[in-house]
Amino acid sequence: MANEVIFEAHHMHKAFGPTIALKDVDFTLRRGEIRGLIGENGSGKSTIMSIAGGMQPATSGEMLYMGKPWQPRNMIESQQAGISMILQEANTINGVTVAQNLFAGREKEFSRFGVINMNKMYSAADKLLKKFGIENIRGRDSISSLTFEDCKLTEIVRCVSDDTQILVVDETTTALSMEGREILYRLIHKMAAENKAVVFISHDMDEILAQCTALTVLRDGDIIGSLTRGEMDAPDAVQRIRFMMVGREIGEKYYREDTEPSRLAEVALTLENISFGAIHDFSLELHKGEIVGFGGLSGCGMHEIGRAAYGLEKLDGGRVRRGEHTIRGCLDAIQHGIGYISKNRDTEALIMDAAIQGNIVLPSLSSLQKHGFISPAAEKKLAQKQIDALRIKCGSGAQFVSTLSGGNKQKVSFAKWLAKDSDILIMDCPTRGVDIGVKQAMYALIDEMKKSGKAILLISEELSELIGMADRIIIMKDFVVTKEFNRSADLKQTDIIEYMI
Amino acid sequence: MGEKTAAAPRAWLSKHSAQAAAYSGLAMCLILFTILTPIFGESIWSAQELHTLMQNVIVLALMSVGAVFVYSLGSMDISIGKQIGLYATLTVILGNTTGSILAGLALSLIISVIIGAVNGAAGELLHIHPVISSLVFQMVLSGISSVTYNSVGSRNVALTSIDVSFFRQTWVMVLALVIEVLVVSYLFNYTKLGKNAKAIGANPVAASQSGINLIRYKIIAYIIMGVCIVAASLFQMGYTASASDSTGTGFEMNVMVALILGGMPLSGGMRSRVSCAVVGSFTYALLDVGLPMLGVAANQVFVIKAILFLVVVVLTCRKKSGTLPR
Repeated sequence: MANEVIFEAHHMHKAFGPTIALKDVDFTLRRGEIRGLIGENGSGKSTIMSIAGGMQPATSGEMLYMGKPWQPRNMIESQQAGISMILQEANTINGVTVAQNLFAGREKEFSRFGVINMNKMYSAADKLLKKFGIENIRGRDSISSLTFEDCKLTEIVRCVSDDTQILVVDETTTALSMEGREILYRLIHKMAAENKAVVFISHDMDEILAQCTALTVLRDGDIIGSLTRGEMDAPDAVQRIRFMMVGREIGEKYYREDTEPSRLAEVALTLENISFGAIHDFSLELHKGEIVGFGGLSGCGMHEIGRAAYGLEKLDGGRVRRGEHTIRGCLDAIQHGIGYISKNRDTEALIMDAAIQGNIVLPSLSSLQKHGFISPAAEKKLAQKQIDALRIKCGSGAQFVSTLSGGNKQKVSFAKWLAKDSDILIMDCPTRGVDIGVKQAMYALIDEMKKSGKAILLISEELSELIGMADRIIIMKDFVVTKEFNRSADLKQTDIIEYMI
Repeated sequence: MGEKTAAAPRAWLSKHSAQAAAYSGLAMCLILFTILTPIFGESIWSAQELHTLMQNVIVLALMSVGAVFVYSLGSMDISIGKQIGLYATLTVILGNTTGSILAGLALSLIISVIIGAVNGAAGELLHIHPVISSLVFQMVLSGISSVTYNSVGSRNVALTSIDVSFFRQTWVMVLALVIEVLVVSYLFNYTKLGKNAKAIGANPVAASQSGINLIRYKIIAYIIMGVCIVAASLFQMGYTASASDSTGTGFEMNVMVALILGGMPLSGGMRSRVSCAVVGSFTYALLDVGLPMLGVAANQVFVIKAILFLVVVVLTCRKKSGTLPR
């Protein structure tokens, strides 16, 4: 039964108005394989599986699932038929318990005479979580009390059941820490061993190479080629895959080239003994021309530090200082030249139901206006410059952000502050979900900002990014700083990890 | 290329479905009444009927155009009708005592700014839906109105010495509307006031993190609406040269219906347009004027309006499906 074809797509074509997302693609998935899908933002890798999973219909083409024609009408239908998808963004129901999330739509199993036996549901939830190796979440917990990562894990548990035949993991690991990733990796290998199929969509090449048994590369809506496990183990595999993805050599320069820490003498932003929530007495001096990196697991408190530096947290003690001025809120922060790229891209950083242009120029409106008048031409010029610089894949700046792919949305969020030209930039996971070609461009821009004397706070879940870009790396664990590293050519991920966990 | 050109109108239509529905609704009304009214008697394009139409449309349009600012925030105001009543009453009473409508006008403007500031700030400061504070104003203004008319000893007051027929002339009404539409369109599309209001309606968290002062721009939006309501109250009062305790009753709902007929999304945001108010008001007024001319009974006019309303709502609330790959 192994190697039996479980899913096929023939001549699958998908167009969104003038934009073509998939060009006549043929795709085959077999039992027992962990198929990696890799490609730049908007290459169509998510589109294939979102069509298979019933999120949207194809424009033309046909699909076969377990040998039968397959035309799912929605995600629920495909999940019942055995195709489960774990998506990039949070998909949990707020304000209720973990158990209610896990068994949403299945309450009948726990009810008698229309009354739900919550205790029964809680213990079933605990049992289920344990089966997945998750110990720190309980069915009784309120979903709102969980971190983003734990919500994601809850979602995984909800999606996957014994009946699941195909599991689609779409960019999920960017939201997970090492521990969470391990849980997910165990799950997909177990499924492959049970002769089911896994489709693993990721930007992280190391992860793909480590976990997948086969790999398909996409570019601009076309399947460029596939690699077997053997080919993936070849010494030049990484270069080969990158070339297939980008269609050109991306060159050697990726991160910063200098290996010594450097900064200007002048302090740009000071966090002075700040205390709030679980953070106690935290201090930091961010200099001009310096990149300070923050690393740790996702619940370690580093994201909160970023929020506090932007005036978004109400402080119990201490203050955030720009020169002699105390920052009192985010409006105050912006007026004093601070910009902030939120980790919560879709809910905080961007207005989904607005044009790309509208989003990019939003923080810059004050500087665009002349006697109160904002010229549409000036707006367009400012936005177009960023669209070109970051190669945002879109028809025009008038296109709504909600229609963009995840990585391209992230670019818009980055472009907003690039356009604003702030002196201090707080970046919370700025390259999340962005492909290597654009990551390279973003790193070059960050490097340029540093060189022009801007101060940057780089909060990241990717250690390689911190090692590659930061002058100083502050590692946090359980809301406390455990170690500080200076930039060095010898710094290795393994040196850092022990201070994180 | 062929595919691209064929797909473009469809893409436009799916993005602007509410717009398309609103415009075709208005066009349908225009065509229908142009052809049918002469058969039943007088044409809708006669000077007399145009004047009636303008009288029907002016107050509603002036209010709705101002309300675009508040609706774009994703909120709404249900004190509009009572505000019209109060301003009309003030203008009449102060007009009779001072001999000029200016005193009433000035006082109305001051009150409208105060109400706007409170309505705009309440939502942010007290963390309540702004409709609630406008509901409070609706009740308070009702109270003031009933106390006023009790002390007057009558259910209506009329201007005794001032001639306000000026406000009944067609060209004055057209000019007032044109000016207001131009000014509001400018503020809404080419200044921070409108851009920020739309951004707040679309995503207040992102707007605030992008440096928009939520309280300030909400207050400004409400004040702009308030000023437009004062303008509308002048024409409402000018229509009969009087005011009563029922002046303005239910106008807030007419505004809502007109805006929705014009394709305004109730959730506010970037799809809000000033043209929604104009298109909607004219559609609403055309139905009011045209249908009775075709011999449709007054109560059936409501049914037809309701059907049109439903069509537009269904199209406006249709879930978007055109998402690109992630």
